[in-house]
Amino acid sequence: MKGKHLLKGRNFKVVALVAAAVLTLSACSSDSESGGEVGGEINVFLIPSPSSTSIQSFIPEFEAETGIKVNVSETPYGEAHQKQLLSYNQKAGAYDIAQFDNTYLAPFCQAKAMLPLDSYISGSDEYDINDFGQGQQDYGKCKGETLGLTLSTEPMIQWYRTDLYEKLGLTPAKTWDEYYENAKKVQAAGFGGQIMGFGPNVSWWWMTLVWSFGGALYDENLNPVVNSKEAVAATDYLKKLLEVSPKGAITATGDDTTSKFLGEDIGAMLNYSGYYGMALDPSINKNAGKIGTAPAPMGSVDTTHLAGWNIGVPADAKNPDAAWKFLEFVLGKTNSVKYLESGAAAIGRKSIINNADLVAKNPYLPQLEIPSSSRIERYPQIAVWPEFEVAAIDAVTQVLTGKQKSQAALDALNEKLKPILAKEPKS
Amino acid sequence: MIAKVSRPNLLRRKNLRPVAQLTIPTWIFLALVVLIPFFYGVYISFLNINLASFLPPSFVGFDNYQTVLAASETWSTLRITLIITFIGLLTQIPIGILLALVLHENLRGTKIFRSILITPMLLTPVAVGLTYRFMFDTDLGVINWALGSIGIEKVNWLGSQTSALFAIIIVDSWQSIPFVMLLVLAALTAISPSLYEAARVDGASASQIFRRITLPLITPTLLVITMIKIMDFLKLFDTLFILTRGGPGNATTTLGLWTYKTGFVFLEFSRAAALGVIITIITLPVYFLWRRASKGVR
Repeated sequence: MKGKHLLKGRNFKVVALVAAAVLTLSACSSDSESGGEVGGEINVFLIPSPSSTSIQSFIPEFEAETGIKVNVSETPYGEAHQKQLLSYNQKAGAYDIAQFDNTYLAPFCQAKAMLPLDSYISGSDEYDINDFGQGQQDYGKCKGETLGLTLSTEPMIQWYRTDLYEKLGLTPAKTWDEYYENAKKVQAAGFGGQIMGFGPNVSWWWMTLVWSFGGALYDENLNPVVNSKEAVAATDYLKKLLEVSPKGAITATGDDTTSKFLGEDIGAMLNYSGYYGMALDPSINKNAGKIGTAPAPMGSVDTTHLAGWNIGVPADAKNPDAAWKFLEFVLGKTNSVKYLESGAAAIGRKSIINNADLVAKNPYLPQLEIPSSSRIERYPQIAVWPEFEVAAIDAVTQVLTGKQKSQAALDALNEKLKPILAKEPKS
Repeated sequence: MIAKVSRPNLLRRKNLRPVAQLTIPTWIFLALVVLIPFFYGVYISFLNINLASFLPPSFVGFDNYQTVLAASETWSTLRITLIITFIGLLTQIPIGILLALVLHENLRGTKIFRSILITPMLLTPVAVGLTYRFMFDTDLGVINWALGSIGIEKVNWLGSQTSALFAIIIVDSWQSIPFVMLLVLAALTAISPSLYEAARVDGASASQIFRRITLPLITPTLLVITMIKIMDFLKLFDTLFILTRGGPGNATTTLGLWTYKTGFVFLEFSRAAALGVIITIITLPVYFLWRRASKGVR
């Protein structure tokens, strides 16, 4: 009897309203989880790069297929992350998708600026996360949550000139000693021995060597350890390599390094695989058909320095479901070949790496398969990395230009890094 | 009180009133784009804003100033700024005067020569920086190629502090000397020819005419040029950024570039604001000297 009264008059209206609200909410949630109708428009923040150009090439097809309008804004790398941080700080909801460098994963993670994508990923056969190796599944993860999908897979690899190596009877180096000896022999034959960027991006190569020589940049308590004997040996080795490099290498950036290797007669180069797009451009590559690739030489520890772009959905995105739909469309399995062929840096999907036709056109693809025995090292996942990096570049340059010995420069760097690392927000 | 105001003053005030009223929008605009950002910059230099931290900013007093003044980079970058300023002035002003004197002689082809000399001033510093970056390239640059053709060994222009600073000064001078030349030329044109005629009649030599007549009369202009150039050097950024990015290491990083790195690379906005205030304090005496020198020119 009591129940009867409850469903009468005012009470009935309240119950009806609550029921309607529950039904509406459940309808909304089932819509997003089941991948039902998603519409409207999305704003995509991209950073000028081959990956960005490729993403944009998919927009007309996506819009026609889904009816979702895609607006793109591109911002150069120099200001891109600052602009994103400002937007996330203000919770402006300006972007539904954002491309970012893996170095910014840590600050974005600390600020909870990106939406965890794990529920979307696990429910998507089209994205098929199992098509990626474990290291690459973890590439956009922070504190166990995936904040960014892999937009490019760019391990630091060895590039060499097949013609010069063949002429001199050399094979790609498996160890750092071999790499130096090869470079010395190529130099003795009248060519550039090897090249890497000893200029404003020298940190990329220095870190690679420090990790490979068994060193680290900081310990688990965020104390700097850059003056360990392994780091000193790595820095000494880097200086030794300068002697077998072309003179201009001392100021070379990542781009300069690649341009010089592709345009001049230099035996080998250590660089990210993502630069292979330049090798496919005949206007830059004067040595087309003579470029071979191999894994980076191994030091006392088997490590792979892995870099590359991420792309994710900001936490304040206004249309996250449509954003996921777009990401799934561009980066999913169906369009993965088309994505690579549109000029983007490759994403290390197993189905791409093992595609014989693609490997014939992009012989570096097998290098993207990182063996499970190799420890993957990413850019340090700390918010103070930019300041850390500038200090490290300055110290390493002091060594390379002969102003200081490795041990003294790294001792000073270690001291300088203490207050910098102390500023790192504790999680 | 009104009776005390003299008639000419009253007139001047009356005449000025419409002028003052007409300039109000400009003053408001200037306040919006200059004064408000400036005082906001001073304000945030006392906070602890780090763009990456997402924590609400709090007042930290003079902590940022203490941090930047204790940092060795502040002093080393200031030293580099002063070196570039000093050598730059010593290079650009004498060459500018020399070119202006030559052009002032109105020799044949002067007009074409003047147009050619002004061209570098019209180019954007970024394009100039990029072009010179290629020209200074150790392995492929035209400068080393030219040196090589006369038997001089390759110079690693941007690879060491001394040669990189030298390269920066060369590029900035190439672009700035026309500016010095034009201002000196204007000052030379303003000197009455009768002074030179009288000096020649008195038997003065060319060097005496230059030292006793030309130099004293163009000195106020030279002072203005010096002050403007000092301010230019203190804010030198674009060419430097393109040419060396402050490298090798931080070897050619000026105080301005260090402020940029602090703000936009390290994302330490408050610390960068403190550095900005310090640069303003350093520039202030130069500004007052410039004001004083400008009066002389008028």
